[in-house]
Amino acid sequence: MRADRLVLGAFLALLLLVPAILSPYYVTLLNYIGLYAMVALGLVLLTGVGGLTSFGQAAFVGLGAYTTAALTTATDLPAWLAWAGTSPWLTLVVGLLLTAVVAVLIGSLTLKLSGHFLPLGTIAWGISLYFLFGTMESLGGHTGISGIPAIGLLGWTLDEGGEIYYLIWAFLLVAMLTTHNLLDSREGRAIRALKGGRIMAEAMGVDTSRSRMVIFVIAALLACASGWLYAHMQRFVNPTPFGVHIGIEYLFMAVVGGAGYVWGAIVGAGVITVLKQWLQNWLPSLLGATGSFETIVFGLLMVLVLHRAREGLWPILKKLVPVRAVRKTIDADAEPLPRRTLPKAGELILEAKDVTRRFGGLIANNNMSLEVRAGEILALIGPNGAGKSTMFNQISGVDTPTSGEVRFLGKPVAGHDSREIARMGMSRTFQHVRLLPTMSVLENVAIGAHLRSDKGVLSSAWRLDRAEEARILKEAARQIERVGLAEHMYEEAGSLALGQQRILEIARALCADPCLLLLDEPAAGLRLKEKEALGELLRKLRSEGMATLIVEHDMDFVMSLVDRVVVMEFGQKIAEGLPDEIQQNPAVLEAYLGGVE
Amino acid sequence: MKLRNTLLAALGLAFAATTAQAEIKVGVVLSATGPAASLGIPEKNTISLLPTTIGGEKVSYIVLDDASDTTTAVKNARKLTVEDGVDVIIGSTTSPASLAMVDVAAETKTPMISMAASARIVAPMDDKKRWVFKTPQNDQQMASAIIGHMSANNVKRVSFIGFANAYGEGWYEQFKKLAEAKGIEVAASERFNPADTSVTGQALKLMSVKPDAVFIAGSGTPSALPQKTLRERGYKGPIYQTHGVANNDFLRICGKDCEGTLLPVGPVQMARSLPDSHPVKASALAYVEKYEAANGAGSVSSFGAYAWDAGVLLEAAVPSALKTVKPGSAEFRAALRDALEGVKEVAGATGIYSMSAEDHLGLDDRSRVMIEIRNGTWSLLK
Amino acid sequence: MDMSIALILSQDGITNGAIYALLALALVLVFAVTRVIFIQQGEFVAYGALTLAMMQSGVLPATVWMLVVMGALVTALDGGLALKAGQGRRAAGVAGWNLGYPLALAAALGGLAVDELPLAVQVLLTLAIVVPMGPMMYRLMYQPIASAPVLVLLIVSVALHIAMVGLGLLFFGAEGQRTPAFSEFSLELGPLMVSAQTLWVLVVSALLIVGLYQFFGRTLYGKALRATAINRVGAQLMGISPTLAGKLTFFLAAFIGALSGVLIAPITTIYYDTGFLIGLKGFVAAIIGGLASYPLAAVGALAVGLLEAFASFWASAYKEVIVFTLIIPVLLWRSLTSHHVEEEE
Repeated sequence: MRADRLVLGAFLALLLLVPAILSPYYVTLLNYIGLYAMVALGLVLLTGVGGLTSFGQAAFVGLGAYTTAALTTATDLPAWLAWAGTSPWLTLVVGLLLTAVVAVLIGSLTLKLSGHFLPLGTIAWGISLYFLFGTMESLGGHTGISGIPAIGLLGWTLDEGGEIYYLIWAFLLVAMLTTHNLLDSREGRAIRALKGGRIMAEAMGVDTSRSRMVIFVIAALLACASGWLYAHMQRFVNPTPFGVHIGIEYLFMAVVGGAGYVWGAIVGAGVITVLKQWLQNWLPSLLGATGSFETIVFGLLMVLVLHRAREGLWPILKKLVPVRAVRKTIDADAEPLPRRTLPKAGELILEAKDVTRRFGGLIANNNMSLEVRAGEILALIGPNGAGKSTMFNQISGVDTPTSGEVRFLGKPVAGHDSREIARMGMSRTFQHVRLLPTMSVLENVAIGAHLRSDKGVLSSAWRLDRAEEARILKEAARQIERVGLAEHMYEEAGSLALGQQRILEIARALCADPCLLLLDEPAAGLRLKEKEALGELLRKLRSEGMATLIVEHDMDFVMSLVDRVVVMEFGQKIAEGLPDEIQQNPAVLEAYLGGVE
Repeated sequence: MKLRNTLLAALGLAFAATTAQAEIKVGVVLSATGPAASLGIPEKNTISLLPTTIGGEKVSYIVLDDASDTTTAVKNARKLTVEDGVDVIIGSTTSPASLAMVDVAAETKTPMISMAASARIVAPMDDKKRWVFKTPQNDQQMASAIIGHMSANNVKRVSFIGFANAYGEGWYEQFKKLAEAKGIEVAASERFNPADTSVTGQALKLMSVKPDAVFIAGSGTPSALPQKTLRERGYKGPIYQTHGVANNDFLRICGKDCEGTLLPVGPVQMARSLPDSHPVKASALAYVEKYEAANGAGSVSSFGAYAWDAGVLLEAAVPSALKTVKPGSAEFRAALRDALEGVKEVAGATGIYSMSAEDHLGLDDRSRVMIEIRNGTWSLLK
Repeated sequence: MDMSIALILSQDGITNGAIYALLALALVLVFAVTRVIFIQQGEFVAYGALTLAMMQSGVLPATVWMLVVMGALVTALDGGLALKAGQGRRAAGVAGWNLGYPLALAAALGGLAVDELPLAVQVLLTLAIVVPMGPMMYRLMYQPIASAPVLVLLIVSVALHIAMVGLGLLFFGAEGQRTPAFSEFSLELGPLMVSAQTLWVLVVSALLIVGLYQFFGRTLYGKALRATAINRVGAQLMGISPTLAGKLTFFLAAFIGALSGVLIAPITTIYYDTGFLIGLKGFVAAIIGGLASYPLAAVGALAVGLLEAFASFWASAYKEVIVFTLIIPVLLWRSLTSHHVEEEE
């Protein structure tokens, strides 16, 4: 537990001493590494964690650099802006504000892009901004702006490499700490769900569009800060360092370092910067000639690295450092999260009336009606292709009926997105398990409590959310114990057996404190013992007043558990009643046994 | 075996470089790759022709490529000054990179000789630019030659097309200023990227204002595309280019479409045809012969000459700096700077350099001549 | 702007668009089958054009040595595997194709006075050098990580792009090249002057598109590629080797790239680093087609070509800004109308 602190401490001490030990040139290199790492860190968040590939970060670096360059060198600023040119610290504020505004504008356009459209969108605005820098005469055109002043700090002027070094690395370390904190929080779990888990996250009440915007803006701000430092270190800006080629190089650094890891940013920036330097120093004397050999060897080396380390270099390096992930501790004294008041047993919770859903000429659901009451378990069964999943989608609000209506707690479901429905108290599992395989079971379940807590990005980043976080984790742990996965709490969710993953989904749904539980084939893949335990749990929930709707194939499981059964075939309800009645119903028997597939 | 020997030799060389006694170290930053590679490569080829002893001291050169990127140029300049402790920097190829390196030169108090065109590199003179010199003619000097020719030939309306980069931009600024002073109207101003595969749109726009002449400000073979397109579209009037195109590749690519093209060049391009009385003929010819012996007949270009002239300046300045101090010290660098500033009437391949405290270029009108492409080759205009 | 200017710009835009369309098709194909975003597509264009130009100036193109080296590496890898498995004949076959062929080609080129050969033969030789690099590149660079995430494959492409541009500078130098036109006549249609080379570009592009269409619709290999594109695992279960599909795709992509290079070399000047911008425009078109639809990608390519031509007339300094800014609404529209499943890998 203390080992990681030691390693970190040693690392920080080393950083502090660098200007004293290393030659000034290596300090210069470290300055560049720090600047690059800051941009790469944004990409770790955006691309590695959030799954949004951006080629355009260099343009945001340019925005930061150009804002400060233009303001601090201008001699004839309009009166209302004159205050900004007086100190680089003020231009940093202006730059960050400007970048935030631009990022929100660009983001609100391009983040709507899905799949492969997004990376191209980032190339598009990356190139546009780059050429704008070059064509605007007030920004020095292609030739650039020189004479940018050095940064002053508490009476010092940071005009030498060894001085600005401390500022750059302080910025970077703060950025890393903030990012690290952010990822380890309620908002962070929402962000980590963006890559491959958006549908699930939305169903748990996460506003994923907002989360995408959040990381987009954070990445842009990091790039902007890097640009600000760059301008005052270099004292000169022109468009070439902010082109798409460089934007691609930042992505390159993040991926080579390890796009999924905060430390990957430093590793990637460091390896690429130092490697280029070494190649430049050594290749000419090795080959006896200078030329384009550096780029050739560099490109091929990078391919080799990626062949050997797809996840980037950090996961490999991490094994060499005596640091293991710290287990989360569950604070038993944390105050429980607030609970909703469950409706009284017997109260009508869910009501579907004459639901019909057509896809073109195909009628998937025809005049389906059903209702679920508090303290009751209803099963929806039927042979393959009967339209159960379509019905499930109508109820959970994923799809909208062609005619008819679904009402939840008396309010129509149609017209509400998954988030609002989740907020109203409906919580679901998925037929095809949707969880985040590399996250621990505990954190997967904690996503369920998203709507029961409200700490935002800033409080997460600065650790003002710990009390609430403890409450969330305690609740998640409680649900995990309840479903019987306590011994797997700290394992990666992806390492569980399929049946256990389904149980995890139930714990996650429970973590949302719902009054209606929608379970899509919860028993599939479970062993007998596990099924019995699941049945036990569902009975207990029923006794607490929970309303449950189960879509299930496993007849034994259903018949011994539920209160009522609705049977579907060819999109229609063919029977409804108590389990015993259904088992005797001739139409049902015909559907299950007689029908030729 | 062979590889091993090479490796050992390389290691030996590396050690030799670090352990040798007092020698003059020259750091070179140039754009051997990236968009400015066609400028940087002749410069790189020239560096190996520069003198290896000056004033009895050995001279060693460390050449670094900045990939046409300012960040890398500055990084390299820092390495050369801080790590290698060079006595002087030559570089870089492009104006933005040179401008960015000015701060490093001033901070480390190392004299620097730029090979880029923009006048902004050495003017207006200030505390930083004290350390910076340059060898290429200013855009303004070259532009005035073109403007002179235009007004002599009754050109009243000109269409301008230039690279969408610092090169095209520098030319446009100077050209427009001088043209307007002479009463010549710049009726259309277009841009193109060196890598563009088509400039039809720009060409049509240039022609649509019915100009008396078209001026193309680009360097190397990319400059041929607008000219070919203009001719293809039926433009018959005179076309002016800059000295940036003066190499054989341009003639080869442009072919018959470039007959009659007018451009100003440094004397180096025309060294053989200059009258013997021309003050730069001998010094230019010396470079041309040396370069072509190493790289093939007709391979010479103005850009290599800028690197050569950096060597010429050093050859002129180093001996006087050596009188007082040994190389490898701050005092030597300061003495070298002073000596460079004191260079008078030194003939290089580009022109005659006479520096002063205010003028760190020191070239005059002897540094350019107007020429025409005739019968597929360069010929002097009378 | 009058009618004749608009017509000339349209012609220019369509000619460029035709090349972008070819590249877009190749990009779509490569992505659909292998999930690789083939950034080096543009480098194949440059290599094709510059190899031809080198031959015409009577120099042995250095690309042939690159082919020999790549072939040797493939031989070492695959031949070694085959030998280990005791399959001597297979090892010999591998060595023959990957080492024997490049060496024979190099010997033939060295023995011939290449600059005196007819243009058609030079073009064929160019393709014979450049195209096999496609499948070899797949074997060496992508096959070992065929199952990696798209992002990693993309970054490998970027790294290879960097290396290939470096090699291009080494082989061909920094100055551009232009080759003579295939034939010298030109057609006058009102204000338009259509050169033979423009017709060549349009006709060959159209033929190639039709040819590819036939290939995918009619031939076994074509169908196998389509199957792989639709469902990789399924196709594998049906006995279609993903390795073969990958190599075949890269063969086609390299062929399209090199041929495009040969086609446009007489119209414009090609540099060692021309590839990136051309490839990028092709990429734009491919994305407009959702990296899946061939006809939409072709339409997108023509649109990009036209947009570029008109933008360079209206405001040449802002040409790229205009082209790339206008792409964003198109992307938005495509993004909202194209059906897609969010939960990617």
